[in-house]
Amino acid sequence: MKPAAFAYLAPHDLDEALDQLAEHGADARVLAGGQSLVRLMNARLASPAVVVDINRVGGLDALSLVNGSGPARLRLGATVRQRTSELSPEVAAHAPLLAEAGAHVAHAPVRSRGTVVGSVAFADPSAELPTALLALDGRVVARSRSGERTIEADDFFTGPFTTSLAPGELVVAVEVPVTAAGTGTAFVEVSRRHGDLPVCGVAATVTRGDDGSVAATRIALCGAGERPVRARAAEDALTGSDGGADAVAAAAARAADGLSPIADCHGSADFRRHLARVLTGRALRTAIHRAAGEADNA
Amino acid sequence: MSTVEDRPTTATTGSPRKNGTERRWIGRSVPRKEDPKLLAGRATYVGDVTLPGMLHGAVLGSPHAHARIVSIDTSAAEAIPGVKAVLTGAQAAELVNPMPAFCAEPVPQTAIAIERVRYPGEAVAIVAATDRYIAEDACAAIRVEYEVLPAVVDPEAAMAPDATRIHETLDSNVAFHRVLDFGDVEGDLARAHTVVRTRARWHRMCASPMETAGAVASWNPFDKSMTVYSNSNFHNFLPWAFAGMLGVSTNRMRMIPCAVGGSFGSKHFITKVLAIAGALTKATGKPVQYLEDRVDNIAANDNVGCDRIYDAELALAEDGEMLGLTLKIVDDYGAYFQFAHGQHGNAMAQPTGPYRIGSLRYDVSCVLTNKVQQGFFRGAGADPGNFVLERLVDKASEVMGIDRAEIRRRNFIAPEQFPFKTPSGNVYDSGDYAAVLDRALELAGIDDWRAEQERLRAEGRYLGIGLATCQERTGYNASEWWFLYDNPPLPATSTPESVKMDVDAMGGVRVEVGCPLWGNSPETVVSQVVAEEFGIDPNDVSVTYADSTTGAMSAGPGGSRLTIMLSGATRGAARTIRDKMIRIAAHAMEIDPDDVECVDGTFRAKGVPGASMSMADIGMRAHLFFHSTPEDESSGLVAVHTYDHPYSTPPSADRTDMGAFYPMVSHACHIPIVEVDAETGVVTLRAYYAVNDCGTVMNPTLVEGQIVGGIVQGIGAALMEEYRYGEDGALDTPTFREYLMPSMHEVPEIVVEHLETPSPFTEYGVKGAGEGGRLVAPTAIASAVDDALKPFGVWVDELPMTPERVVDLVAGAHEGRP
Repeated sequence: MKPAAFAYLAPHDLDEALDQLAEHGADARVLAGGQSLVRLMNARLASPAVVVDINRVGGLDALSLVNGSGPARLRLGATVRQRTSELSPEVAAHAPLLAEAGAHVAHAPVRSRGTVVGSVAFADPSAELPTALLALDGRVVARSRSGERTIEADDFFTGPFTTSLAPGELVVAVEVPVTAAGTGTAFVEVSRRHGDLPVCGVAATVTRGDDGSVAATRIALCGAGERPVRARAAEDALTGSDGGADAVAAAAARAADGLSPIADCHGSADFRRHLARVLTGRALRTAIHRAAGEADNA
Repeated sequence: MSTVEDRPTTATTGSPRKNGTERRWIGRSVPRKEDPKLLAGRATYVGDVTLPGMLHGAVLGSPHAHARIVSIDTSAAEAIPGVKAVLTGAQAAELVNPMPAFCAEPVPQTAIAIERVRYPGEAVAIVAATDRYIAEDACAAIRVEYEVLPAVVDPEAAMAPDATRIHETLDSNVAFHRVLDFGDVEGDLARAHTVVRTRARWHRMCASPMETAGAVASWNPFDKSMTVYSNSNFHNFLPWAFAGMLGVSTNRMRMIPCAVGGSFGSKHFITKVLAIAGALTKATGKPVQYLEDRVDNIAANDNVGCDRIYDAELALAEDGEMLGLTLKIVDDYGAYFQFAHGQHGNAMAQPTGPYRIGSLRYDVSCVLTNKVQQGFFRGAGADPGNFVLERLVDKASEVMGIDRAEIRRRNFIAPEQFPFKTPSGNVYDSGDYAAVLDRALELAGIDDWRAEQERLRAEGRYLGIGLATCQERTGYNASEWWFLYDNPPLPATSTPESVKMDVDAMGGVRVEVGCPLWGNSPETVVSQVVAEEFGIDPNDVSVTYADSTTGAMSAGPGGSRLTIMLSGATRGAARTIRDKMIRIAAHAMEIDPDDVECVDGTFRAKGVPGASMSMADIGMRAHLFFHSTPEDESSGLVAVHTYDHPYSTPPSADRTDMGAFYPMVSHACHIPIVEVDAETGVVTLRAYYAVNDCGTVMNPTLVEGQIVGGIVQGIGAALMEEYRYGEDGALDTPTFREYLMPSMHEVPEIVVEHLETPSPFTEYGVKGAGEGGRLVAPTAIASAVDDALKPFGVWVDELPMTPERVVDLVAGAHEGRP
C-alpha cells in the first residue's frame, strides 16, 4: 500500500498551476483534499507521474454569492472544504441541499480536508455531492491556459470517475443557482454504515407553483448508475401534479425506470432499483413539505 | 445423568467468594497496567523494530483464484536500485521448508506458491528492498504468466466427484468427513413430538486486528542462528515448529514477542509472515521486516473464520423438553487445511449449549475451495454453533407456542447438576443459567420495550427485542485439535502457561510471563494475583515478557484461557516463593514456619504484634546472607511455575466420548433491541443488555472490555462482516470499503452485568471471558430482527443481515416463501 514514485508540484498561483497542468497533461492529477486521490495512489489504482497540489493557490478557497447577469448563484472555489460548505450560513440559506447532502459525506475529520469541488471532479457515481450538484442544476467552472468555460452538471459526468474535463483543465469552482422560496429540497440515502458511500441516495428539488401544484422538480440519484443520474420519468410524473401522496407514490414508482445500476457487494442492481423507488418517495415527500414552508417531521 | 468422576480437588482450588471481603485485589477494577504505554504509543510493535541494515519485504499476490504459474520473470524487478532479493516460490523453497500443518491429510502449503495458485492473493513472489516503497515497485515490475484454471467457489458444488480438484494429492475436495453420534439420536427423533429444522448460513469473516501480522527475521550465517521478532502467540509454545520451517536448529532459534495490536485469535501461528521474512533474511544476510498491509491481511491472512452451511434439527417432546440435536455441516475451509478441523473440535465443547439435550449427531464435511484458508477468529468454531442452536430454540418456541424464555428455562441444566457431562463428553463446571436469564430480562426492562414496540408498530415502525442464552467454553486443552481423527498426526495434550517470578534483594517482585501482550491484560492480572498473595500493591509488581530462550512454556491467549492459566501460574510461583520467605522469616524470628503469616507485604509472627519482617528484610537475607537462612535453602527467591490444564481427560478410543477438554464454561444472556426499516432493510441497534457469568470476576473493567468488544464484533457478524467472492473466485471484499465492520456509530450503549458462579476447577474460581460477546451477539441480534419483523413472519437463517437480505426476507414473507 505504498504509492509509486511521483513528482510533487505545489504552485502558488493559478497561472502557475495551469501551466503545470498544461505541461503534464494526462500525466498530472490535481491534489486538493486528497481524500480520494491519495487512497487510489496508495493502492496503485492511480499512479500519476505528477501531482499538482493546488492548496497554496490563492483565491480558490472563496465561497460567495454571485449576483451577475441572470439568477443569483452560489459559487464554491476549488479548495473550499466540505466541512466549510456544510457549516456555511450562505449555503444553508441559498443551497440547503448542498449542506444536507454534504453532511452524509464520510466523517467530519474527512470533510475538514476533502473539498466540494474535489468530490465533484472525482465523479464517484455513488457520491453525494455530485448528485446534489445535478439536482440543483449546478455547473462546473473549468479553466485552462486557453481560457474558462462552464459545463452544466448534466453534461459534466460522463461515466464512473470520468468527466468531460479535458487534460490541462482545472475545475476552479462549482456554481449552483440560489434555491428560491417555494422550492423545497431533500437528500436521503441508505448507506451500510454511518459515513459510508451510499448504496443508493436521492437528491430532490421541488418547486411549487402559486396554485400549489408541482411546477418543476429535479431528482438525481447516486449509486444507481455509472454516474449521477436523473430520474426523468419520476420528474415527469410529478411535474404538474398536486404533489399529494398519490402523486408522490406514482412518481416514486417510476424512479428506477431506465436505470442500469451498478452491482457490488453492498447491493445488487435490483436492490438499488428498489432503494431508488423507496428513497425517491421519501425525498419527494420531504422536499414537498419544505417547498410549502412546513417544518420537517410535520 | 452421567457423572464426572475424576475431576480435580486440589488444595489451592478456589472456593466461592464470601461477600467479596476475603480478597483484596482479585475482583477489583485495578487500572489496566498495559494502557499507558499503549495509549502513549510507547509499546514496541513489529513495525517499530529497527535493526541495523534492515530490509523491507513485500509480496506479490496472485490476481487469480486458481491458476497455473507458467512463468515468472523477475529481471526487471531485480534491476531496480535498492532491491536486494526477489524470490519465487521455488527459490524460497531452497531456503525455508513448507509451513507446518496440523492436518493428517496431504495438503502441503508453502508460504510462496509453487507452480500453482489456489486463492486470490496467494503469494507468488517476494521481495526484499531498502524500503517498502521500492519493494512494492519491484513487485509491480515482476511479470507472471498464468494459465487460469476453473475456480471452485461454491462449497457444495466443490464436493461433487467431478469438481475441479484443489489439491491433486487428495481424492476429493472433501478433505475430511465424519459423522459422530452421541446418545440415541434416532430414538430421540422418533419419539419427538416436534422436530424443528433450519438451513442456516454463516459466512466467513476475518479478525481484522488493527495491527496486521508481521515479523522481523535476522539470520546469522556464521553460527546458523536466527532471531525473530513477531506478533505470533506461539513463540513459547511451538518455537520448534517455526525453527523447523525456517531450517534453523531449535536451540539456535530465538523468538522475541512484540506488543500486538490485536489478534482476536488470528495470530497464533502466522507461519506465512515468518517464512517470508525468514526466506528473505537468508537470501540477503540482512535482517528483514515483513508486515502485512491491510490488503495482504484481508486477502491472505490464513486465519479467516468459519464458513458453514448447517442443516440442523432439534427434536422436542410435547412439553418442550429438548431431546436431540442433529447438525449436518458443510464447512468451506478454503485452499489449505493448516489447522485441520480444529474449529469443529472446538465446537464440540458446547454443541448442545446450556440445555439438557440428550443426544447429538455431528456430521461434518471440511471442503476445500479456491479461497484463503481458515484459521481462528474469536469464537473459533463455536460461534456458528451458538447461532444455529439458538435459532432452533427460537423456532421451537414459535412453533410450539412456548414463550422463548420459558422454553429455555425448562431445558437449562440446573445448578445442582454440575459438574455436568455433555453428550459428546465435555464437562461443564458450574453455572446458574436461569439466574442469568432472569436478571437479563429484569435489566433490559422487557415490559417497557414491549410497550414501546406496540407504540411504534402503530406508526408503521418495527422494533425488535432479541434473546439468546449461550455458553462460552473457556480454557481449552490441545485434544480439541485432533480428537476428530482416529489416528491423529500429533495427539498433543499440553496447554501449559508459565511465569518466572523473583523477589529481589530489596523485596521487589518481578514476573516474566511466557505469553505475549496480545491485547489482553497479562500485566494487570499477574499484578493482581501477586498483590493478592503477598498483600502488596499491584502497582509495585513489575511484569515483563519472556522470549523463547527462557523456557517459560506458554500456549498464551486463546480459547479464552489466559486469565485462568495466568492466575494458576502466578499463584503457583507466588506460593513457592512465599513459602520460602515464610521459612526464612521463621528461621530469623526463631519460630515455627506455621506461626508466620504474610499480611500486607510483611511476614509476621501470628499473635505477636511488632514481630515482623518486610519483603526487603527477607529478600536481602535470601540473596546475601546464606549463613542466616535455613540449612537446606539455596540463595535467592526465584520460581518458575508452569500451570497445566486444570482438568482434562483424554477422548475414548472409539470417540464416543471426547473427554473433558474445555470445562470452564461461562454463560451469558443477551438482549439487544433493534429497529428495522422494513422498506430499506436497515437494522439499527437501539440498546443492548448483557448479563454474563464468567465465574469469579478477576477485574470487572477488564471483563467488561472483553464483553463489549466481543459484542461489537458480534454486531459486525450480525449485520456487516462477510467475505464475498465472484463466480470467477475474485474476492469482492478486498478492502475496508467492501469488508465492513461496525464503527462507534453503529454501536448502542451496551449495559453489562455480572453474576458469579465460581469454577470449582480453577484458582480463585475464575473462568474465561474473552469470546463471550461474539459468541452470543450474532444470534441474539438475529432473534431481535425476527421479533421486529414478526408481523411479516420472517425467519433469519443467514448472517450478516445486510439491508438487501432483510428486504429479501420481507419480500419473501409477502410471497409466502419459507
